[in-house]
Amino acid sequence: MIVVLAIDALEYTLVEEFNCKNLKQRFYGKTNIKEFSEPKTMVLWSSFMTGKNMEKEIVARGDKEMWNTELDMEDTFFRSFKNPKIIDLPGFSYIKEQHEQERRMLKYYFDAQSEEEKKNIRTEYNNLAFLHHRRIKQEFSTALQGDYDFVLGYFSVADVIGHLNFGNGSMMKLIYRDLDEIAGTINHTLIVLSDHGMERVGIFGDHSNYGFWSTDLKDLGNPKITDFADMIKEIPEVN
Amino acid sequence: MSKEFGEIKIPKEIIRKIEERIDETEFKSADEYIIFVLEEVLKEEDGEEPEEVLSEEDEQKVKERLRALGYLD
Repeated sequence: MIVVLAIDALEYTLVEEFNCKNLKQRFYGKTNIKEFSEPKTMVLWSSFMTGKNMEKEIVARGDKEMWNTELDMEDTFFRSFKNPKIIDLPGFSYIKEQHEQERRMLKYYFDAQSEEEKKNIRTEYNNLAFLHHRRIKQEFSTALQGDYDFVLGYFSVADVIGHLNFGNGSMMKLIYRDLDEIAGTINHTLIVLSDHGMERVGIFGDHSNYGFWSTDLKDLGNPKITDFADMIKEIPEVN
Repeated sequence: MSKEFGEIKIPKEIIRKIEERIDETEFKSADEYIIFVLEEVLKEEDGEEPEEVLSEEDEQKVKERLRALGYLD
């Protein structure tokens, strides 16, 4: 089994700061996403699974419609596997209702007029994200015991929580520690990948212009996110 | 290298409250919660953690960025 831990907004500097050994594995580094005009989640994950820059196609759908993107298995490298399991990946098996609700609450937060109201919305928003995280963790854990040759688990918690709380070091540390523990439970060929990282803007977080990768297989240097489709297909286990 | 641990006495009432609180969190035990909280308090005492400041300017900046990234209408 080959496993991809797809972590939205996993930030290289925090993986280092919190010394997340399981996330780092033997080789790790930053990905190069400079070819994209903006580090948009849907654009980056779609480019990852197709192995080609999908920015033009996804952006053309418009900011609202892009979240509904659902690529066909045949257009992705997942077709190289007999029995793949892809959990919550944007552009493929994205759980739209959940993530729509998160974006709606983000809007409520910025529209709120009082600090009290913002505080309450932030709490509700964080609870929503953590609850979803627990569900995905459970589904991922079950999938690892299943009869799959490829499992991809997409974890959005670092991005969703990060947007409103990246300046809260304790909360981010708790999340990174949990993600590190999840990585530590995987006893298969593992690739950890993020679409982009995150940088601090006061208490908030904004997407950074590089991502994170790690593997025990080989040093990938400073790869593009579109390099991973071919790289994964070339792992001997796949053939 | 594994960490060495010592023993410390904590009132049972506090342990009970912590156990209630961690039910809905990522913490797996009261021990884990207590270690995390103490680490954070000590870090704060050492001045490592900058104060969280909510500024209008940061909020506007992030709001614009989230709009550009497709998160907000």
